[in-house]
Amino acid sequence: MVRYSYFPGCNLKTNAKGFEETAIAVSKKLSAELVEIPNWNCCGTVHTLSTDNMMRRIAPVRVLSRSRKHIDTLDEETPNEVVTLCSMCNSTLKIVNDEVKHDHDKLEKVNYQLEEDDEIYKEDMEVKHFLEILRDKIGFENIAKNVVNPLKGLKISPYYGCMLLHPDKAAIDDVEMPSVLEYLVESLGAEVVDSPFFKLCCGSYQIVDEDRIVDSQVTKIVEAARKRGANALVVACPLCAYNIDHQQKILKEKVPGKLPLPVFYFTQLMALALGVPLKLNHFEDHHINPKPLLKELGLSGGKK
Amino acid sequence: MSFEYIKFGKEEKDFIEKIEEISGQNVYSCYQCGKCSAGCAFSSYMDKTVNQLIHLIQVGQKERVLAANTHWVCASCLTCSVRCPREIDVAALMEAVREYQLREEPEKVKISNIPKEVLDKLPNIALVSNFRKKTE
Repeated sequence: MVRYSYFPGCNLKTNAKGFEETAIAVSKKLSAELVEIPNWNCCGTVHTLSTDNMMRRIAPVRVLSRSRKHIDTLDEETPNEVVTLCSMCNSTLKIVNDEVKHDHDKLEKVNYQLEEDDEIYKEDMEVKHFLEILRDKIGFENIAKNVVNPLKGLKISPYYGCMLLHPDKAAIDDVEMPSVLEYLVESLGAEVVDSPFFKLCCGSYQIVDEDRIVDSQVTKIVEAARKRGANALVVACPLCAYNIDHQQKILKEKVPGKLPLPVFYFTQLMALALGVPLKLNHFEDHHINPKPLLKELGLSGGKK
Repeated sequence: MSFEYIKFGKEEKDFIEKIEEISGQNVYSCYQCGKCSAGCAFSSYMDKTVNQLIHLIQVGQKERVLAANTHWVCASCLTCSVRCPREIDVAALMEAVREYQLREEPEKVKISNIPKEVLDKLPNIALVSNFRKKTE
């Protein structure tokens, strides 16, 4: 059993409980346990693209420094890596980590602020998304071996969104032609449905004051997947999940007739396939209930 | 072909310099190929496309740049930045225009105007990122 220092980020405790709980359960089954950093703080969600705003770089560096301290309390084989589930955290932490490693002036300024809390970042951390751990450390063959409940009948369209792949230094896979979600979905026994809009931005934070933009993006993403025969989408970002899930419900009321597609986090699919208790999925938080689809396909009864 | 005379004095040069300083990008690297606008998921919502906005920055037309909605429609998905053949961080230029404006008027989104039920319903990841991009 390898234990990893795990950074949840702001949403995994509120809207995306099912994402976190299934990820932790699955990680234990695969002998790569995610252990939460005890005193983490929000990374700031989006990274500042300005060069001169140091304040917005403090939170992510603090996460790295606290994760490093956390690793000292774990095992000897625990790597100097902080593992994220949210793709926005993945991108923000990776960008800032890269920035301070290459710009000592910036690091010094941030450390000056961290010192007040008796913390310091020594450039000795790497940031990994859980999908990278699944692919590179655990391996899809190993995951396939642990499947007790193959997801037969699920036709999944992988939706990467932007922050798993952008910018280059935060990309977990090929920027224009990723495959990690496809391999994962296949190893769980489900069918992959390719869609051209796998990384068309969902509109992200525009949901707050420009939801018409999000509506049109969600329509494009879901329609493209549906036309190609998908009956569900898989995502890795709590904001993509909320936008696609919630706005489909709104759109359904506006334009009746088309059945919405349920949205799963990749760890929820893994939990279903690896026989993790169904309640950890927190399907009650979803706006498009995935249960009828799972029931129809005989996938909601746990072990067969 | 139409053309117009524009002013290009100290004020214009100062604006360009400030945008370059905030973004860390050289705006004259852009040769107007339009790949950013072609790949942008939100071009249809913009009154100036991304490369048009960059052109206006190149010639220092501050009023026209700030009057456009381009940089506010941008959702920082960074597709333009990873595809730019001149390796310009295009999204950083959009951020620089936002920042330029926010440093004068710090609230593009007035949090107090958002209805409580909307605030209650939205996930914190949406609120934090929106306020980070649209308030100073």
